[in-house]
Amino acid sequence: MNLNDQKKDDFAKQFSVGLVLFVILLMVGVFLLQYAPMIAFFWLSGLGFGYVLQRSRFCFVAAFRDPVLTGSTAVTRGVLVALALTTIGFTAVKYICQSTGQIIPGHGYIVAIGMNTVVGGIIFGIGMVIAGGCASGMLMRIGEGFEMHLITLIGFFLGTILGNNHLQWWNNHWMWIKEGVFLPDLFGWAGALIIQLLVIALLYGLAVKWEAKQEV
Amino acid sequence: MDSEGQKNFRKWFKPSWSYVTGAVLLSILQVITLIVTQEPLGITSAFSYWAVRLQGVLGFGTPEQLGMITQLMGARETLWFEENLVTLRNLGIILGAFLSALLASQFRLKKIKSGQQALMALLGGLLMGYGSSIASGCNIGAFFSGIGSMSLSGWVFGLSLFIGAFIGGKLLIRFLI
Repeated sequence: MNLNDQKKDDFAKQFSVGLVLFVILLMVGVFLLQYAPMIAFFWLSGLGFGYVLQRSRFCFVAAFRDPVLTGSTAVTRGVLVALALTTIGFTAVKYICQSTGQIIPGHGYIVAIGMNTVVGGIIFGIGMVIAGGCASGMLMRIGEGFEMHLITLIGFFLGTILGNNHLQWWNNHWMWIKEGVFLPDLFGWAGALIIQLLVIALLYGLAVKWEAKQEV
Repeated sequence: MDSEGQKNFRKWFKPSWSYVTGAVLLSILQVITLIVTQEPLGITSAFSYWAVRLQGVLGFGTPEQLGMITQLMGARETLWFEENLVTLRNLGIILGAFLSALLASQFRLKKIKSGQQALMALLGGLLMGYGSSIASGCNIGAFFSGIGSMSLSGWVFGLSLFIGAFIGGKLLIRFLI
């Protein structure tokens, strides 16, 4: 059997296993649906996120690391597009909820800003580059067969235990804006949306220029 | 499956999507998630949940944490997948990526090459775990969902991630390559 045949054989094998897995995953979804639709939704949306992340090689580490390390901003621009589209979608949902007198969803994600945000972000940034995978990338790569990222997951869990026990301290020191800032509260809905999209567009322009500069 | 059929299937599952396609689909999933679950996508709250549970079993932590654990333990009639739906979704992300890799025949069991690699994986994970638990979120919850929610914290976290990635890149070059 030559190399080409072997490749075809491997393709057929993996594809068949994939089809069987697909059926099993859907059956689990139907099983979960019997408990509650919400449970099935978490399951199916997780599968969707995992599928899209893997198929589009969407890597947040590369988005932050590559501009400096290799000069490529392709993933960075992809992340910026995602930020812009998600901003528009989320803002539409939130605005509609507010106008119709419903509770604005997702306000739990407007979190406090303090030294914890800065230090946490820097530590997380160093960690994701060293591990070669962020939170979503780590889960995705476990699915792709990387043993290494199982160890990252264990480390992640241990780090969480440590961080949780220091949380109180961080909340009591250098906490700048405890209640967080929801930008529409500052600039109005339209103002905040325009400002944020302009900032994203500006970053996109910088990313295009940065990459062009590297190629010269 | 004959080879013609195989070729047709390959067309559907083999090529990677562009980053922009990924961005569009992720954003659509994010918006649906916000509408259905009333919260955007987050990952690390699942790790926090199990960390607190483990502490409960081992019996250490602040009084508030232990109080939370007692509460959780009191409501133990639920099945494991009902207890923390984010855990279920994270499992879904792993298996969704597994499915995608199989259908594209990209699944490869990649063994750990060296002790150094294992150490880096552990250290990187530790740093991410600590960072995400003090900053209340990771690259998804605090950055992607944070900025999408028009929270100023998302931008501050994003800038910090960039600084961290820069430092991490320098460390990699200095000590490894």
